[in-house]
Amino acid sequence: MKTREYEITISPTGEVEVHLDGFKGKGCLEAIRFFEKVIGETKDVRQTSAFYEPDEDVQIHNEQRH
Amino acid sequence: MSAIVIITPIVIAAWPAFGSAVAAAAVSMGFTVLNEGVNQTRLTEHQQGGLTVTLDVPNSAAVTGGLGRDQRIRIARDGIIAEFSRDARGRDSVCVTGEGYSQDALRSMGEELAGRTVQQYVLAKLKTEMAGRGMDLVEETVGEDNSVRLRVRHWQN
Repeated sequence: MKTREYEITISPTGEVEVHLDGFKGKGCLEAIRFFEKVIGETKDVRQTSAFYEPDEDVQIHNEQRH
Repeated sequence: MSAIVIITPIVIAAWPAFGSAVAAAAVSMGFTVLNEGVNQTRLTEHQQGGLTVTLDVPNSAAVTGGLGRDQRIRIARDGIIAEFSRDARGRDSVCVTGEGYSQDALRSMGEELAGRTVQQYVLAKLKTEMAGRGMDLVEETVGEDNSVRLRVRHWQN
């Protein structure tokens, strides 16, 4: 089981800021799409360093050839 | 942390949901709901004896198909009366009036009410959709600037 955490701030004008935590790689894109579907249109996305780490579900196989 | 996303809300709601958001915003700002219904008499300067300011509710998309057309909800506080309505084209607006208040003060109040209504609409929709996805609301707080902060946890396989 993986834990995802979100910190959501809804301003008095209704604008929403979502901090997505617990993701590595582009797995958070699916979460972003969920919030877009519920709330509206994305105005800005700031990706942190973890965004550029390998996707969690992608397995990298090193094949050695002789 | 993986990303920070800023999302501009779009209000697409049938009247019951929109009316509930207005009522929630009203209560959070100390207003009292006077009445809600269809085809009530429109709020006018003549009725109240003060200036009247009418503003569109920002980011509200026209809802077609007769979902709450000509609905109105009226709220009041300290001599100010505000009326949210949805016209025949599905456009949401707020009309604010109050004797002894300047146009700027009424406009400012209308903008704050409209914003807080959008905030309450987004909050209610988020809670419903997140619960449907099995997301747990761990904490909900209201900041000094009236922002609503939610901490949500989601367990995934």
